[in-house]
Amino acid sequence: MAETTTLSPTRPRKPRLRIRTVVIAIGIVAFTIYAARQSGWDWGSFVTVWTNPLWGRFWPIDWEWVSDRNNVLDPLIETFQIAVVATVIGCLLALPIGFLMSNLTTPNRPTFVVVRSVMNVIRAIPDLLLAVILVAAVSIGAFGGAIALTVFSTAVLVKLFSETIDGADPRPLEAALAAGGRHTAAVRAGVLPEVFPAYVAYSAYVFELNVRASVVIGLVGGGGIGRVIEAQRQFFRYDRIFGVLIVIFIIVMIIEQISDAIRRRVL
Amino acid sequence: MTSTIDTAPVDPGAPRTPERPRPPVAKWWRLAAGLGVLFAFLWGVSGLDITAEQLGRAPGNIWTIIELSVPPDFRAVLERGALGKVFESVYIAWTGTVIAAVLSLPLAFLASNNVVPAWVRIPIRQFFIIVRAFPELILATIFLAVVGLGPWAGALAIGFSSVGTLGKWSSESIEEVAGGPVEAIQASGGGWLSGVRWGLLPQVFPTIVAHWLFRFEINVRASAIFGLIGAGGIGGEISSQVQFRNWQNVSAVLIMVVVMVLVIDAVSGAVRRRILAGSDRGSVDASQEALGDLGGFLTRRRERAAGDGPSTS
Amino acid sequence: MIEFDDVSVTYRGGVKALRNVSLTIDDGEFVVVVGLSGAGKSTLLRALNGLVPATSGSIQFNGTEVVGAKGAELRKVRSQIGMIFQTFNLATRTTVMNNVLMGRLATVPTWRSTLGLWPAADKELAFRALERVGIVDKAYVRASNLSGGQQQRVGIARALAQEPSVMLADEPVAALDPVTSHQVMGDLQRINRDLGITTLINLHFLDLARSYGKRLIGLREGQLVFDGDIADVDDDTFREIYGRAITPDDLLSMDAASGG
Repeated sequence: MAETTTLSPTRPRKPRLRIRTVVIAIGIVAFTIYAARQSGWDWGSFVTVWTNPLWGRFWPIDWEWVSDRNNVLDPLIETFQIAVVATVIGCLLALPIGFLMSNLTTPNRPTFVVVRSVMNVIRAIPDLLLAVILVAAVSIGAFGGAIALTVFSTAVLVKLFSETIDGADPRPLEAALAAGGRHTAAVRAGVLPEVFPAYVAYSAYVFELNVRASVVIGLVGGGGIGRVIEAQRQFFRYDRIFGVLIVIFIIVMIIEQISDAIRRRVL
Repeated sequence: MTSTIDTAPVDPGAPRTPERPRPPVAKWWRLAAGLGVLFAFLWGVSGLDITAEQLGRAPGNIWTIIELSVPPDFRAVLERGALGKVFESVYIAWTGTVIAAVLSLPLAFLASNNVVPAWVRIPIRQFFIIVRAFPELILATIFLAVVGLGPWAGALAIGFSSVGTLGKWSSESIEEVAGGPVEAIQASGGGWLSGVRWGLLPQVFPTIVAHWLFRFEINVRASAIFGLIGAGGIGGEISSQVQFRNWQNVSAVLIMVVVMVLVIDAVSGAVRRRILAGSDRGSVDASQEALGDLGGFLTRRRERAAGDGPSTS
Repeated sequence: MIEFDDVSVTYRGGVKALRNVSLTIDDGEFVVVVGLSGAGKSTLLRALNGLVPATSGSIQFNGTEVVGAKGAELRKVRSQIGMIFQTFNLATRTTVMNNVLMGRLATVPTWRSTLGLWPAADKELAFRALERVGIVDKAYVRASNLSGGQQQRVGIARALAQEPSVMLADEPVAALDPVTSHQVMGDLQRINRDLGITTLINLHFLDLARSYGKRLIGLREGQLVFDGDIADVDDDTFREIYGRAITPDDLLSMDAASGG
């Protein structure tokens, strides 16, 4: 028998970069350069924004002013109240709407489509834009801010919540329907227990978002500490603003810890 | 076979065995939590200083505005260059996200426990937390004072602020990468940097790019808001139109903003899914991203429940 | 009384799960349904309580037409039919009690069940059902903390709480070990005998079918191929229903395989 040694197959060539990949990469780079130009790119400012003497105004902190309750504590309380109200109402609304928005628990197709579309549109509205409009409409800063944040909270929570429901176990729901329950009762008995921990966790998350947002909302006319910050900014009193920011930071940290603890307990 | 089912008719006179258990105390804990929320809510409402009369008038006010906003006046708004402003917002968001991506990538590696020791990682993690705690809008106002009015202040603000979130998400993704390839490289004599560059980066890069894109979606919304304080973009239009109570213009601009956001969300979302599907990690939906903000906690739990298991060995 | 008249079920992908099935079941009967996976056993049961809509034909349940029934009418039919599932279908994150109370959903007003304010009479029924299956001490235990056999008993209690006239069991023991399987089959047998509840059971294991069944229905590719007394059944009958020889996988216990 002739011994033919079969050589290893010819070495494959390294796959050439696909034309498409190259084009996309060039496109992205070109777009980035264009966008940067349009945004007013300025290499120098990367340094100058941090070395500007303005930052010197942050120190020393005017603690005396900060500790006067009229200046900081009361507005902070108002900010907090806006966040609480917005979160509670938003979460209450998000519970039924979330069920309507999930494939698993929606009562019928048209409802599903309508609710989903409406909520997606609302979620696309930046929260502060909504706040500006509502504050002008309702003409009371804190109230307008609260409404805007409520709408925002509902939209955010509803999206998270409905995605959880989509992933929930459909079988207890089947059993509840098989026993003759109406749709709402069956969802309540069969699906809610399973998704409730996630609902609570998301609600805590939304509360955190709202606390941060309600601080900022004051900058554009909603009530609370934001208004104070804006006022002080106009006088360049960054030493006071810095003090306020530190207080806010501490509070947000505390809330995050509590929120984490709730989540650990609940999940 | 002994049956566990007792089908004998129940004699009401006979003693019932075994004892029926009572409802557990935990039920009261939940009731307390519910009451707590209720009281917090009432406290919140009280502080808002709204009279019942104002509350009653509000829906009417809002309805009036809605009536005044229809039909939206696109012609007037486009004449004022609103479309250009919309694009400007996108450019600001994109530029800012690029800046944040470049800055956050190395920092993310320096914040991962499978790359650096704790004494490096912890300060950088703290840095992320502080950056995230600083409200973006306030940073933007400071930058406005330094670089002047216009889009650049907004882009810088977005760029630096996003470093915190992107750093956190990226470092968490890096930590989730299995250590195998890095070990292999180091076993064959490669240095630490090579291990990171060839072992970690290729594996985690798709996920990180997905994070960038998701942050871009958020930043588009932020850049629209920045316009309100003069940092470029469409927000300025809304601000002035609202000021003059041109509600038809307001609704037109609002619709344009919504369309912009929806389009970007759709495109970015599709690209993200494409990238992640290619990298065999499945899709990252909005809830997982938000959960990433919650410390990856829920995501890992869900993955474990689904049988994937954490990918760290 | 249950009457299937020329019932066909075609799923949306075009799969014909049931083909022209006709049969009658009298009150109080104990019926076992066997067939390969995909033969239509599950569809047969689910067509009866409307979980799966029948494409054609008629299903009469105590005089009410199930095919096409909607809303309150369908719920009334379902409330009289208790169903237990292969995977138990319990709400695992809540208590056994809440699961059993699901059996009362048809009669309790929605607002009451939503808020958890169950009437005392319904709670009494739930307790009695738990007592009948012998796990009342676990009433407030989280369902996920129970063993498979216990979870299935909760499922049975949930069905019993409905005070049904018919009990459907879709492969109730497929996820259980042999000892527990025999327990559950015995329980279902006693429920049928002592409470007079018409019982329809899908079974995968042939030796169980032979041990416990009285009337046997065989399905093959959606068609009714056997309907008769269990005494008339032998290995050849099973081979006809299954279309192949019997394998050890079709039997619950290895002893039956080697001994039979």
